[in-house]
Amino acid sequence: MRFVLRRMAHAAFLLFGVSILTYLFAALAPGDYFDEMRLNPQIAPETVVALRAQYQLDRPLPLRYVRWLNSVMHGDLGYSFSYNSPVGPLLLVRARNTLFLTLTATLLAWGLALPLGVRSAEYLGRLPDSLVSWMTAGLLVLPDLALTLGLLLFAARSGWFPTGGVVSLDFNSLSPINKLRDLVLHMTLPLLALVLTALPLLVRHVRAAMTGVLDAPFLRAARGHGIPRHRLLYRYALPAAANPLISLFGFSIGSLLSGSLLVEVVMSWPGLGPLLVEAILSRDLYVVIGGVLLSTLFLVIGNLIADLLLYWADPRIRAEPVAK
Amino acid sequence: MRNHRARSRYCWMALSLLLAVAWGAAQIVIAAPQLGAPKEDLLALSGEIGRPGGRLVVSLRAEPKTLNPVLSADAPSREVISAMQADLIHINRATQLTEAALAKSVKVSSDGLQYTVTLRQGLRFSDGQPLDADDVLFTFRVYLDESVRSPQRDLLIVGGKPITVHKLDTHTLVFEFAKPYGVGDRVFDGLAILPRHLLEKPYQEGKMEHIGALSTPVDQWAGLGPFRLKEYVAGQRLVLERNPYYWKTDAKGFRLPYLDELVFLFVPSADAQVLRFQSRDTDVISGLGAENFSVLSRQKASYTLADVGPGLEYNFLFFNLNDLTGKAPPELARKQRWFREVKFRQAVSAAVDRDAIVHLVYQGRGAALWGPVTPGNRRWVDTKIAHQPRSLDHARQLLREAGFKWTSGASGDSALLDADGTPVEFSILTSSSNADRTKMSTLIQDDLKQLGMRVQVVPLEFRSLIDRIMQTKEYDACVLGLVSFDADPNSDMNVWLSSGGTHLWNPSQAHPATPWESEIDRLMEEQLSVTSYERRKRLYDRVQEILAAFQPMIFLASPDILVAATSTIGNFHPAVLEPYVLWNVEQLYVRNRAGNGSR
Repeated sequence: MRFVLRRMAHAAFLLFGVSILTYLFAALAPGDYFDEMRLNPQIAPETVVALRAQYQLDRPLPLRYVRWLNSVMHGDLGYSFSYNSPVGPLLLVRARNTLFLTLTATLLAWGLALPLGVRSAEYLGRLPDSLVSWMTAGLLVLPDLALTLGLLLFAARSGWFPTGGVVSLDFNSLSPINKLRDLVLHMTLPLLALVLTALPLLVRHVRAAMTGVLDAPFLRAARGHGIPRHRLLYRYALPAAANPLISLFGFSIGSLLSGSLLVEVVMSWPGLGPLLVEAILSRDLYVVIGGVLLSTLFLVIGNLIADLLLYWADPRIRAEPVAK
Repeated sequence: MRNHRARSRYCWMALSLLLAVAWGAAQIVIAAPQLGAPKEDLLALSGEIGRPGGRLVVSLRAEPKTLNPVLSADAPSREVISAMQADLIHINRATQLTEAALAKSVKVSSDGLQYTVTLRQGLRFSDGQPLDADDVLFTFRVYLDESVRSPQRDLLIVGGKPITVHKLDTHTLVFEFAKPYGVGDRVFDGLAILPRHLLEKPYQEGKMEHIGALSTPVDQWAGLGPFRLKEYVAGQRLVLERNPYYWKTDAKGFRLPYLDELVFLFVPSADAQVLRFQSRDTDVISGLGAENFSVLSRQKASYTLADVGPGLEYNFLFFNLNDLTGKAPPELARKQRWFREVKFRQAVSAAVDRDAIVHLVYQGRGAALWGPVTPGNRRWVDTKIAHQPRSLDHARQLLREAGFKWTSGASGDSALLDADGTPVEFSILTSSSNADRTKMSTLIQDDLKQLGMRVQVVPLEFRSLIDRIMQTKEYDACVLGLVSFDADPNSDMNVWLSSGGTHLWNPSQAHPATPWESEIDRLMEEQLSVTSYERRKRLYDRVQEILAAFQPMIFLASPDILVAATSTIGNFHPAVLEPYVLWNVEQLYVRNRAGNGSR
């Protein structure tokens, strides 16, 4: 319990630090949301000054930060200049779409990476390992953007998959089976893009972790005792190789909100990506800060989960004195 | 027992009959105001007769931010709002002239100070509530309220004073201007008349800025446009449905719009917009880039592609002519001596290859510019301005006359020197997010290299760029573009008046810095109050000629308005004024398979 509390205190401290830095970087960059209005000949400079004052952009930075912190405590995460509404609900509704996509993609990627990495390590230096290595090397050298655009082009040319959105416009009038089919079709390409991007890294980590374990004396002894191959690999070898993979899993959770921004923009997936890109371009300050804070929160949660899993999985960590 | 049952049955029958009568009476009472209401003054439109029904899907690059016309400042919001709201007087995007809309008639007093507007009788908002003069009074009260901070408020300040409005009767209002205003009727375009019955309470509570969020329940939002809110899915789409109370009909008396639904699909990138159009997810793309237009033109598909011609966007290069006495670093002060030399600016203008810009940046789909008014603005373009072809010899001659000279550099290139022997070197700022302007800047860099000028192109994030040119004023030159909201010169008053905030080369001057800026001020102020088009045209032509002579902005090019639609869309007549395609959305319709639109 002390371990958990200590980690949570670290997390809160980290979030606070990130919020200050993000706020500083975003607010100190030259120009603001209302600058574009200065180029509108129909809007008088006095109106722009009044609008900046209305949104308190003319106040000292520490005061603005404290006010924003207050709104974070109320769950608003600040106020969007462009949407004229609190940032929290704006992010939340889109974060649901992002999480739906990234959670599925993460599960799929890990579900594929574990058997591929294990098999690759088992057949180290032989044909299956070479095939997996070539495949992962090919995916690693392919830029994410090129892969995503390629998939989108394939969808447009073949007509087999929709080129954007979560569901069709006529979704509500479809039968339950067709609704499911429609959803799966819409998700296929964004999922494929995310899984293919994440897969090589995961496979290589699993392979590296397993390679180090498979030669261990306890496994050779277990093999000698005639324990079946499958049980040997997944019941004994994998848990022994789990530590680096658990850390990596924590990182996967951490990138749930931020890992799909590019795919979302290119494939018109209505998640956080399009909102944050637009907010960055238009300097919608609090939407940007809110997005960064939410992503950091996920990173912190991911790390916390990874720490807890390591604590649970590795007796050596449990044996360490917690408070030093 | 049997009697009791029979009595009970009769009781139930009597009760049912009573309920039926009560329901019928209630229906009559509900319908009574409609029966007693005055006959609707509907506006009949000429043009192709369409076919009712169907859905049009339009892609938008960004989500609209609000449905509130008082606060909207972004293009997607304006496009959506234009389909849901209506104004008293409207600018016809095809003719670029004003025409009565919600106003049945407009009478202008002989001194041009009073506009008496009579509303059409019997009109209703999209929720069925009637429109009257109180709605108009409320609307202008909101727009003019300083605390609301409507971006359109400044349009309603004429001669330094806000327009005043008062009601004569339930359907007649008088608008008074502080001084004669040449185009008072154009002021009303885009000022949506608000539903007082829905907005008065939140306005009085000071919550106007919270009104009109996209997630507003459909029964709490109403307008006088052809469509009304049906559904909003965050980040995905906004669905509008036909307004059954709309006040326009076609030539056969059918109440418009033809379409049942208008769907705005949010597609965040230009390339994705094209792909979704190709896969038939969307029916219309407004504002295509030249490259994507070429891609679509090469495909033999059933699209209607339209190059409407140059729009109202003008791109230009300008130098830092701000008065920075004592504030500018010595290097900038030295450069400003070159920039202030008219012949230097004329030489730069003569050296710029505008045709190359049109071909290389816009793939030929644009127009070279020598003045601020594009050929797309047919009524106001000054055709007398000479379209000087690129001439390096002429440019060198002008520079020689201004005291510049050349020397051979170590690499054999000749370098331009000023009278003090300092090499002419400067940087051009441009927006990093605008690929077209970055290309233009690179072409200018190459053109000016041939005159011996060393130019550096500095792409900057857009808001940092604006901060540099409007706030810190630490820049040498900049390539930028402006889009006039209206064809009329009044929409660019703040660009040409020396006191204007968008007088980019030297904004917000207390007194005109040069005699020619003073002359432009006088001409622009004069045309503002003149009502005769011919006289205003002469005055504005003179402004254009002064700009062409003194080159405070070196005008470069204007891109064509490029749009695409599926060929099943009828009454598709895109215009150069926004919204390019949806300006006649009430008349757009989906043809049947035989291509026949008539009913």
